[in-house]
Amino acid sequence: MGILIYSVVVSITLLLTAIGFALVYGVSRLANFAHGGLYILTGYLVWGFLNKLGVNYIGATILSLIIVAVVGATIYQFVLKRVRGMPESEIIASFSLALGIMEGLRSLGLVGFAYTIPVFVRGTVVVAGVPVDWQRLIIIGVGLGVVAFLWVFTHYTKPGLALRAMAQDERAAMMLGIDSDLMAVVCLALGSALAAVAAITILPLGNITVETGYNVLIYAVAVCVIGGLGSWPGAVVAAFILGFAQILTTAYLSPQWHMVVVLLAILLTFIVKPSGLLGRQKQLEERV
Amino acid sequence: MRKQLSFIETIGFCFVLVSSLLIASLSHAAPVSEGRPIVIGAPLSVGFNYGLGSKQSIILAAEEINAKGGIIVSGKRHPLKVEVADTRDLEPGVPTSEGLMVVEKLLLQQKADFLVGGPIRSEVMLATMDLVSRYKKPSILSVGAVTPTFNKRISDDPNKFKYSFRTSGNSINLTTEGLGVTEQLKKQHGFDKVYIMGQDVAWARASSSLYKSELEKRGFTICGYELYPTGSTDYSMGLLKAKESGAKIIFPWMDMPETSILINQWYDMKVRALLIGYMVAATHPDYWNGTKGTCEYIADLYTKAGTVPTPALPKSVEFVNSYKKRWGKEPISEYDGSCYTAVYVLVDAIGRAGTLDSDSVAAALEKTDIKGTVMGRVRFDKTHDVIYSQDPKEGAVSLWAQWIKGKRVVVYPSEIASGRIELPPWMK
Amino acid sequence: MPQEDRRKKRLDRGVKVRTEGIYAISAPRDIAYLLIPRLVLILGLLILPLLLQNIYWQKVLCIICVFGLLSLSFNFLTHFVGIVNLGNAFFVGVGGYTSAVLQSSFKLSPVLSIIAGTFGGALISTTLLLPCLPARGIYFAIASLMYPLLFPRIIEALNIFGGTDGVIGITTFPNIWVDQYLVIIVLLVTLFALRRLVNEDFGLILRGIKDNDQAIRASGIGVTWYKTQGLFIASAIGCFTGAYLVHLYGWAGISLFGLDFSIFPIAVSVVGGSGALVGSVVGSLILVPMSETLRAFGTLRIMIYCLILVGFITLKPEGLMRYFTRKYEQFEHWTRV
Repeated sequence: MGILIYSVVVSITLLLTAIGFALVYGVSRLANFAHGGLYILTGYLVWGFLNKLGVNYIGATILSLIIVAVVGATIYQFVLKRVRGMPESEIIASFSLALGIMEGLRSLGLVGFAYTIPVFVRGTVVVAGVPVDWQRLIIIGVGLGVVAFLWVFTHYTKPGLALRAMAQDERAAMMLGIDSDLMAVVCLALGSALAAVAAITILPLGNITVETGYNVLIYAVAVCVIGGLGSWPGAVVAAFILGFAQILTTAYLSPQWHMVVVLLAILLTFIVKPSGLLGRQKQLEERV
Repeated sequence: MRKQLSFIETIGFCFVLVSSLLIASLSHAAPVSEGRPIVIGAPLSVGFNYGLGSKQSIILAAEEINAKGGIIVSGKRHPLKVEVADTRDLEPGVPTSEGLMVVEKLLLQQKADFLVGGPIRSEVMLATMDLVSRYKKPSILSVGAVTPTFNKRISDDPNKFKYSFRTSGNSINLTTEGLGVTEQLKKQHGFDKVYIMGQDVAWARASSSLYKSELEKRGFTICGYELYPTGSTDYSMGLLKAKESGAKIIFPWMDMPETSILINQWYDMKVRALLIGYMVAATHPDYWNGTKGTCEYIADLYTKAGTVPTPALPKSVEFVNSYKKRWGKEPISEYDGSCYTAVYVLVDAIGRAGTLDSDSVAAALEKTDIKGTVMGRVRFDKTHDVIYSQDPKEGAVSLWAQWIKGKRVVVYPSEIASGRIELPPWMK
Repeated sequence: MPQEDRRKKRLDRGVKVRTEGIYAISAPRDIAYLLIPRLVLILGLLILPLLLQNIYWQKVLCIICVFGLLSLSFNFLTHFVGIVNLGNAFFVGVGGYTSAVLQSSFKLSPVLSIIAGTFGGALISTTLLLPCLPARGIYFAIASLMYPLLFPRIIEALNIFGGTDGVIGITTFPNIWVDQYLVIIVLLVTLFALRRLVNEDFGLILRGIKDNDQAIRASGIGVTWYKTQGLFIASAIGCFTGAYLVHLYGWAGISLFGLDFSIFPIAVSVVGGSGALVGSVVGSLILVPMSETLRAFGTLRIMIYCLILVGFITLKPEGLMRYFTRKYEQFEHWTRV
């Protein structure tokens, strides 16, 4: 029973971290490798607001969310827009930005183990005989909430529908008067905000270190690749598969292999079906 | 329409690039001064806790010595100058060659006379041993790099590596400490069921498997033995298994920051086992504030004493106070005492050698015997490693500290303890 | 002239047109036009070790050539074969470990182990990358990024090849001159060989694959086979670098798979100029010493470095070499539209 509950927790955690990345790639085909950097940036911003500037928790989180969303939009406007369409340049540009952000944070002296942001509620609850702490339950709630929000947003609101249109066929969307650059900016801001939300809910579990940024990036890429680059439901399915795979390996084999599982899963996907489980790439576009 | 730089802008751009290059290289030209300063090179990974703490300890020691007038060699007064260089060796993606380039730069360009401190990662440290031997500069490793391969290399070829020394100790000592504290818990509370969680890196694997086999020989029940890869964010399975098996001690061997997640989960699940072991994440003085007290009752091994003050080591109390005054915090890393001491060990050896010549200083280092340092008595064995003991009058000690009510209390070894190991309330 | 009314008009210089064919040998001035850049490069690189007095800077020169080679490999793959390879570190690691293991187990001389490391390593890495080869574009890019992340963990988990301690005690080169000249000569040979290669038939097919692989496939040429060959060449270069590094410092460890070995060559080719193989060498000559001098800034160094990289990618994506080549071969002026 414990396995089931914790698998769900891990899956939704993975989903939360990856959904921002999936969103951005789905809409504008931009691999935003700065995702991990933005995640960590949020963590340190919240910490800074709480501890250095004495802002209260709600204010700190909202401010950090806004700042990170703005940073994301700026990244698009000034950097990614110029390199769109050239996959290697995009990856290099966004990855160097991520590196710049993370190493910059490190050079500010934000090293060590003492940087944490507080949990929403401290305490544990026993679910079906298994103790689970409140924060993890909140993560499940927030994760499901985010997915629901995205679904509603992209099906019932105008900007959301525009994003979906762009994801399906950019040119057709442009013909209908949707400004692709503006939408891309909105999309990146949204994706960064999602990374921020993920950071705010997940980072309280442990502490904030720069290395987590790199790990987060690997997980986000893994989830999106397996689920299908460009497919949001795919990301959800992939997150669950990966989450369960990780917990099952930990429980029955040994925890040693769970990172290897992730990387092997990515490789397998590429070999068998590069566009992932639910990807919409045509066969010809993805392999020769 | 993308804006391309015009010709003038490109030339200007290149000019800025080249001139900044020149300015940066010029700023390297060290001014030549009189009573020539003795340069201590400190290759450290300053972007990490270990590196930053070591840097601060070494600089503190150097400043103290300079305040007392520096080192006197053949009648001349020499101030100490510390050159810290960032090796980035603790960063996962960085190749060892970076660290080696930095050490070479320190030795060749920045004219370091001696090396104190790192490199910290064993792989880089082992490669640096060859450099140290090639350039013939005494080096005292004082942070991390606890692999026993160091001892092996020196005993295999003592002449080649005669300039390499180490005050940070050996990973086998860590296992001995772990066994000692576990035996004490068995005596005090009858705990004989242990759940071991190690990190999936070479030192932790070696230490934890040695720990496991020794415990089995002494009649303990091993309820579980797991290895977690670096970066693991979930310990729920392990903790649940520990709960079900009735383990009374959960012993981690981890140096990754994600250990905090383990600690928080242990606290939240109220697992009826004492969380005691080697968890570097919890050795930071701000850890209590950071976790808002969820780290209470965890007991943590500090490889070398000095970081947490205890009356049995009077120098450590002085050290912690000076460190706090100079840097605003108590020592942030478990090796701070070792780094601070290493500088004094070097100065002591130079004093006895009476010269700055490398061979003489190396020979003097071998005969080092300083009592009453922040970590006990410092002597080197035949493999140039600091002699370890649980008695500060015999050798360098490690310490175990437990977080109680926001403060760290030294609980083991008994020769230096200022309190007993407390059990969390849900275990009583 | 206001922006909208003017455009840049580029004309090849006279001397460039004259030197394009066989008539280049007709006048010493034309010969000089062609030869001087190449001579400057070759002689410059060969003389440099003699000019640098400090052992430290000589070591830096070795590292410059190492990254120049890695960047050549990346450049070749990306711009002449069409494979975006973000995992250069994989080649370095495989080549390094092959060479190190052979050396320590069989006690081969450095020459033999480097050769074995280069070609054996190339064979191993090409075989391992083979399953992912049919994938295109970004898919291969991400897959290649994962390889150097995966293998160190496997080595660590299985504790083979010395685990996290690495393989130590490898024989190094006898002296600093061998260090430098070996890699400089290999760099020059590789550079000119590759330049020749891309203009041969084989190279044309590779470039065709980059431009439009469906067309090549339609011509009945096996795309995957040619891609494999291209990958083999590039990985041989990368593996040589790994084997060389192993013998330069006498160690081999997990950090041979480090991200730095993947990212730095990409930075070098971006700055130096993609599409022109010489750009790799030029970029390396600029970036590596700059990176060394930036050490004065401590950790800020990487951040400054990334900002420069981003600056180059967005503002001057053609790189420096292309820019200078254009200036050398063409002259431009604004004309009214």
